Parts: sequence; structure tokens; C-alpha cells
Amino acid sequence: MDHNISWIILGGLANIALVLLVAPFYQGILRKVTARIQSRQGPPLRQPYFDLLKLLGKEDLESGETPLMQRFACYLSLATVLTVASLVPMGFPSPINGAGDVILLIYLLTLSGICTLLAGLAAGSTFSLVGINREMMTMIALEPLFAITIVIGAIHTKSFRIDTVLNGSVYAAGFPLSGIIMLVVMLLSFQAFVQRVPFDISEAETEIMEGPLMEYSGPKLAIFKYSQMAKLVLFSSLFVALFVPWGTGLVFPLGWLLFWAKVMVLVLLVTLVAATHARYRIDQAIRYFAVLLFIALVALILASYGF
Amino acid sequence: MSILSKLKETLVCLKAGRVTLPYPAQPRPVPPKFRGRPIFDEARCIGCAGCANNCPAREILVFDVCQELRILKYLGSRCTYCGRCADVCPEKAITMSHEFENATNSKGDIGQRLELFMSTCQRCGRCFKETSPLDMLKLKGYRFDDLQNERWIFHSQAYLESEPLVDDIKIELEG
Amino acid sequence: MNSSLKLNQLKEKFGSAILRADLPNDNCLFVFVEPSVVKDICRYIFRDLDARYIISIGADDRPFSGRFLVAHDFAFDRDQLLCSILTHLPADNPKVDSISGEIPAANWAEREISDMVGIETVGHPYPKRLVLPDGWPDGVHPLRKDVPWNHVPEGFDEERAYKFDDPPAGCTVVPIGPFHPTLDEPAHFRLYVEGEMVRGCEYRGFMVHRGIEKLAESVLTYNDITMMAERICGICGCVHSVAYAQAVESAVAIKPPPRAEYMRTVMLEIERLHSHLLWVGLACHIVGFDTLFMQSWRIREPIMWIAEKITGNRKTYALCLIGGVRWDITPEVKTELRLVLYKLETEWHEVVAAVGKDKNIQKRTRGVGIADKNLVKNLGLVGPVARSAGVDLDCRRDHPYAAYRHVDFAVITEDGCDVWSRLMVRAKEVFESIRIIRQCLDKIEEGPLQSEIRDELPVGRLGLSSVEAPRGESHHFVITGENNRPRRWRVRAPTYQNLQAVPAMIKDQQLADMTISLGSIDPCFSCTDRLETIDMESGLTKVWTQDELFRLVRDRKG
Repeated sequence: MDHNISWIILGGLANIALVLLVAPFYQGILRKVTARIQSRQGPPLRQPYFDLLKLLGKEDLESGETPLMQRFACYLSLATVLTVASLVPMGFPSPINGAGDVILLIYLLTLSGICTLLAGLAAGSTFSLVGINREMMTMIALEPLFAITIVIGAIHTKSFRIDTVLNGSVYAAGFPLSGIIMLVVMLLSFQAFVQRVPFDISEAETEIMEGPLMEYSGPKLAIFKYSQMAKLVLFSSLFVALFVPWGTGLVFPLGWLLFWAKVMVLVLLVTLVAATHARYRIDQAIRYFAVLLFIALVALILASYGF
Repeated sequence: MSILSKLKETLVCLKAGRVTLPYPAQPRPVPPKFRGRPIFDEARCIGCAGCANNCPAREILVFDVCQELRILKYLGSRCTYCGRCADVCPEKAITMSHEFENATNSKGDIGQRLELFMSTCQRCGRCFKETSPLDMLKLKGYRFDDLQNERWIFHSQAYLESEPLVDDIKIELEG
Repeated sequence: MNSSLKLNQLKEKFGSAILRADLPNDNCLFVFVEPSVVKDICRYIFRDLDARYIISIGADDRPFSGRFLVAHDFAFDRDQLLCSILTHLPADNPKVDSISGEIPAANWAEREISDMVGIETVGHPYPKRLVLPDGWPDGVHPLRKDVPWNHVPEGFDEERAYKFDDPPAGCTVVPIGPFHPTLDEPAHFRLYVEGEMVRGCEYRGFMVHRGIEKLAESVLTYNDITMMAERICGICGCVHSVAYAQAVESAVAIKPPPRAEYMRTVMLEIERLHSHLLWVGLACHIVGFDTLFMQSWRIREPIMWIAEKITGNRKTYALCLIGGVRWDITPEVKTELRLVLYKLETEWHEVVAAVGKDKNIQKRTRGVGIADKNLVKNLGLVGPVARSAGVDLDCRRDHPYAAYRHVDFAVITEDGCDVWSRLMVRAKEVFESIRIIRQCLDKIEEGPLQSEIRDELPVGRLGLSSVEAPRGESHHFVITGENNRPRRWRVRAPTYQNLQAVPAMIKDQQLADMTISLGSIDPCFSCTDRLETIDMESGLTKVWTQDELFRLVRDRKG
């Protein structure tokens, strides 16, 4: 029993360390590819690591309405993201399989979104309040999409365990219609989950001065940026695990490398869409998500009927 | 169709390739007419103060120590590199060089100071040949701009101050 | 005989109230009237004769005629006529009827007159301080001749705050500026926001006021002012320098040689190219589309290089002198310029073809920032803002100057009245500019670059000049003076009028659209705030500590 627990803990830590190590690298790829599309040279791939180090070295300023909440929000955001990291399978079954089910996963992801709201409240200025207003509206429309995907997976596999649901469960029993629909819906809304153009509305720099993150600087900003980078990797991993699971059976390290290659493809897709689109307004985005939500509900109904 | 236009836009981007220049790793040459920092040639300058008169930023100061000695000081801090001084100089003593990397943390680096021995014209005392009435010297005679505080004094005088302002310059006069 | 025809029309209606009229040429008319009929004559010109309002000017003429001077400039675009209604006011109590009630466009100009010259405009609907800083003592009017240019007024009250209007019920105040990532220069838009909808706005600006007009009257000389005028704006500097030179040339009847006029035209169009390409990039950046921002600036870069080849600097061309230009164009540079234009044209065609069908950008720009024909007329809007509302307005064709008489070009108008139309107008104007430059390069004549000026310039002459900047009409008014400098120089940049339309454009629109609406007029705050820098020495500049700045940001939040 002890042996198992120590493996579980080590496995969880390994996952976390992997995400921490790899997330800035994918961010670097995103920035480099964006730059090349824009005919620029772009920063070196190691740049996000340097940025985080630089921010960590700056003066830790506490400002805004409630500095305590400011601290709490930023630590919580990284903590939730890393907890999700230990739950998600990354080329091998997730170590804390038995400890939580998919409902926990959905809640943790929502919690990480709430951290942004807390950050904006902590700042208390007009622009951050406008920002969290937009973030709230986006979350209300977005979180259900992800939840519905997971629930459809659960319906098909008749279990709530993370490893069964996430291992291509949407396609259980051979490509059901609801699975295909959810694949399309998730692809269309993926930009919003990872907070990139055209759906990075809550943090629109040119319109509302960075919104919720306005009062953050130095180490706290580094933590927030880290959690954003990690979210990109995590959501890509979740997407790959749910919709593109083939090849996980391969022997380590091939299966593991294949997984990360798939994540890379997804990151490139995100970059391409982000580089070629303008930002939408919040009401246009909400309308768009509402349509997607409706389609997702239809898919849910189909799934419950076995399609 | 929006996707088509996005593809066309991406094509525009990709056709251009990478356009970032390697400056400052490699130097970047400038065209011949480039107006960089003006360089004052002390040998050619006749001390007419035409440049000082026509500098829009009033960055060239003139100070008469005595009848024979005139100090011309180019400050450079608010110089706009317009090149008017070079245009009006009758002796072509000012050239607009190609230096544009002029950043420094010591203000004195950009300034240039000329000490000119003024030989007296038999008729008028000083000579400046203007191209049009718009460039005419308005401050004729002796000038006493404030060299310490680096400011123009908008008056000139018909004669020197009675006491010498700088007493450590001794000029040997012949005869 | 446009000017005398107009004069006759005015004489018929106002007869004896017209004291004097100057008709220096066919396109320029100065009418001196009694102060009592100023309002009526301006209303008649604006409404019945359908003129376009340009600017109102106040001047201190006391050392010369013992009185103050107020001028209202109008333009008759169909008749190619610029007209100025002038009136003299007594020195001890200068008062004039305000025309802002009839002509809303005169709102700012009259507030500026009362701030800077101290002439009271009776009946102004919104007589608040416009230009002078909050703590400035009352009664000290910088543009008066008895106030020296480097005067530091006593009684500057640092604690005095600007009294903002109260927001309407139910609205929160969202401050855009003075520091905001969208704005390159400081400006303060106090928005009244209900949810995400903007219900109103108050503007407080003139923070980069530099005192150019006062310096021109006191310290600089005619040829220095052309260099200074270029620094009014970082993007359309050449326009101001040409407009000023033309105003003086028109005042004293100096005609630059033909080669100089062609050179001025070529450089003005090169400036228009760079400005429009810059703006398209900026607009895309505001809506979050950074790729097109980078691309349009990449396409723009060769223009900066060719400008550097011709004039010696990428942007501050230092081109004009009174009566001519300083730089010439050699045959090698001509060939290179043609190549640059060809490459630019092909690349820009691709971009416009791609962007024209782009639904993503259109969603953010269609129906946003509406300024219709009524607003254009009432507020005297100019440039692409007016042309996007279908108003056919362009100084290059309506009041031809430099070499524009000799070249063919089309005036682009659209009907949408929104940001998308302005984008299309500017994108298509790029092609017209290329066409103009090509025609100039073909037609340019050999000859001198500067006309000979034999005598000192006569004193007390009036000159007007309107030049089409990339943002609209830039209008300069000059009264020549003694000591090799003008007595009065008034610069009316196009953004001065266009900014007054922003509160109307953003009303009842979403907050997110505010920045792109503001950006669509292509605001150049430096052009707008171009008056005096009184030498703010010790004691008057406030050094904000970090704590004070934080408190300022937090206190202003609601």
C-alpha cells in the first residue's frame, strides 16, 4: 500500500514537473510561429523562460483594493492548474486515477477560471471590473461545452473514472454521432478556452488595459502567466486525450512522444487561427458560444439515446 | 467567404518571408543625403554667426570675449538635424555627417566648441552673406549668449563689456 | 471672379455693415465687418450660402491697430474660395457674439479664443476652459502681446482641479486616458457607461500643448517656422510646413518656381502614402489583428527609405522655405521611386483584395462610429471621416495648391458613414496617391528650387492656406509682421474638428467599440494641441511620486 502511495505521489509530481517544464516551451513555439507569419524574426524559443525569470526577480508590489485577495488569486490559479496537471494523462495513464473522477476535473477547471475573476475583483478598478464582467459572461457560455463533452464520454463508457473517460471515450462503440459533433464544437471553441484571439476578450490590451490582470506585476504576474501557459498545454492534452487518443497503447517512450507531437499540432493550429483573426466583441462572442452550446445540448441528447 | 480571405492574407504574409534586419549586429548604411550630426570645421569657420542666426532650435551660441576672439558653441541637445546651419554657411564649414547613433549619457559629448580668431574687416567688422532678406542677421555686433546655462540672450551690443569677462585668455598682439 | 461674386452677394445682404474687403486673388476673400453683424453674417454664410466652417481665430492687434481681432474662416468648396470674416474689437472690453449656437463646429475654436486671447464670446453654450491647464490663473492670456513668451505666471494653483460634468443617472464613469495603451498621446475621454453601452462622453485634452504659435510670434523667424511647423505632427509634418509656407506666400504674393511646387506635391503624396498605411495597420492592431498591422507596416517601410533618400530623413523632411524647397530629386532617385511605387501598388492590391472580403474585420468595423452627413456639416468634419459619409470634399481639388492643378486624380467617397468605410476610403486613396506621384514625376519641369526674395516681406498682410493632410484639411492663417516674423499664425489641424465629433460617434455604442471609433478619425493629438509651452520652470512642474500616481489611478476609478 505504501509502495503504491509513493508511486502515486511521485507520478503526480512527475506530471506537474513535466507541465511546468514544457509549458513555456510551447508558448515560445506559439510566439515564434506567430512572428514568422507576421514576417518578423520573433523571439528565441527560450524567451518565455527568460520572461518568467525576469518577472520573478522584480519588486513584489501589492496594490489594488485588497492585496490579500490579490495574493490568494494568483497562488490559487497556479495551484488549480497544477492539480489538473496531475490528473490528466500525458502519454501515460494519470497517476492519481483513483483519487478523483471527471467531475473533479470539471470543477477544477472552472475554479481556475474563477481565479481570474478574483484577480479582477482584487484590483477593483473600473477596467478590471469591466474585464471580469466579460470573463464571467464567457465562462458561463464556455464551461458547459467542456462539461458536456466529458459527460458524453461518461455516458458512452458508463463510468466516471478519469482514465476510462479520457481515453477516447467519446469514440467508444465506434464513432458515435455525438462524438463527432463534440469534436467539431470543441475545435470551434478551443481558442476561447486557451484565451487567444479571436476570443481573448477579457484581456484585450488595447481596449481595457489588460482587464483583470491590470494590477499584477513582478512575481505575481509571473505566476499568472505561468498558469496561462500551463492552461494551453493542459487543454491541448485534454483535447488530445478525448478526441485523438490513438497511439497511447504504444510502448513508452514512443507513445509518450506521439502524445506531445499531437499537442504540438494543436498548438500550431491555435497559433495559426490567432495570427489570422481580429478580436471579437463580447456580444458577438456570446452569440457564437450560444449557438455552439445549443448544438452541444443536442449532442448530449443524442448521446443519452445511444447515438 | 471569410476563410478564403484569411488564406489570401496568410499568403501575403508568407510570400514576404522574414524581413527583420540584423541591426545592430550588423551596421546599417544610410543614404548619401542623410542628415546626421552636424560637424563644425574650425579651420574654415569665419565666425559670421549665420548658422546661429538661422538655427530654428537656437542651439548654437555665440559669445564675444573681445574684439578678436569669438566663441561659437554648438550644444546639440535640442538639435533637430534640419541642416539649415549647413545650408547658410558661406564657407561650407558645416557638414551634416552620417552619424545617427548619438545616444550618450554625458551631454557634453555631442557639443562642439569653436574658438575663433576674428580678423577685422576694414569696412564692416564682421561679414555674413545672406541669400535672402529672410535669412538676414538681426543680431549684429557683439554677442553674449549665456554659455554657463546654455541659453540664448536675445540682445547684441555695439561695443564690448568694459571688463573682460574671461581673464585667463591672453592674446599676444603683434607690434 | 469667385471672390468678387461672393463679395457682391454679401454686400447685397449686409450692405453698410461691411467696412472693408481685401481680394488678394480669385480664391481668397477677406471681409472686415462690424462686430454687431458677425453672428448674422456667419449664419447667412453657413446656412444660406452653404459654406463649410473652418476655424475661428483671435488675435491681439493692440500694438498695431489698438484693437483686438476676431476672424471666422469659411470655405466655399464648389467655388474654390476661402473666405475670412474679420472684425475688430475695442481694446478695453473685447466681446463678440458667439457663433457656436448656430454653428456647433465653432465650439472649441471660441473656447480657445477666450482662453488664449481673453476675448469673451457672449452666448457660448459651453464656456468651459479648453486649452489652459487647470491651475492656470485667470486673467493671464498667453497669446496677448503683453505676455512674454517665457512668462511664468504667478498664482498657478496646483490644487485646482477641473470641474467635470456630472454623469447622467445610472452611468458609471470609465476614464479612457490620459494614459491608455491605444492612445499614442495623452487625451482624456471620460465615458459615461451603462453596462457595456456608452451613453455620453466628456473630453479633456490639450495636454501636449507646446506653444508653437506663441513662439512663432516672438522668437522664431519666417524660415525657422517652417522647420517648427513640421514638428507639429509626427505623421503629417510636411503638410503643416507646406501650408504655412503657402499662407505666407499667399500673403505677400511670392510664387514658388514650378519645380518647387512639383517637389512639394511629391513629398506631400509620399507623406499621405506612409500615413494611410500606418493607419490601416494601427486600426487592425486596435481590433486585435496584429498580423495585418505588421504586414501593412512592412509594406510601408520602403516609402520611409525613399523619403530618406530624397530628403535626408525618414519623416522630418525639413522641406520648405518661404518661396521654395530645399531638396531636389535626381534621375536615379526618380527611377528608384518608380520601382518603390510599383512594388507598393502590387502588394497593396493583394492586401486590399484580401481584406475587402474579410468578414472577421467587417464584424468589428461595420456600423461602428457612425458620423452621417448632418454631423459632417454641423461640426465641419473633414478628410476621410467626411468622405466616408458620402460628402465629396477634398482640398486638393477644391482649393488647388502646389502642382495639383496639373495632375488628375479621383476623390474617393463611400456611403457607409462607419469605420469600415473610412478604412476603405484610406485604402483606396493609396492608389490615387501613387497615381499623382507618377504624374508628377512625368511632368516635373527643370528649374530653380527657390524663388528670389529681394525685399523684406511687407507687414500686416493676411494669408490663408488649406492643404489636404492625410487626416483632412489643414488650414493656416498668417498675418505678416515686423522683425522677420509673423504677427499671428493660427494652425487648424484636421483632428481639431474631427475630435469634436467623437462624443457623438460613440454614443449608444459598445464600450469595446470606443477605441476603434476614436482610431478611425486617425487622431493626431499633437496636431490638435499645438499652442504654447510657457516655460514651466521650477515650482510649476509637479513630480508625481509612485504613491501619488497609484492613488490617482485608484481614486479616479468610479
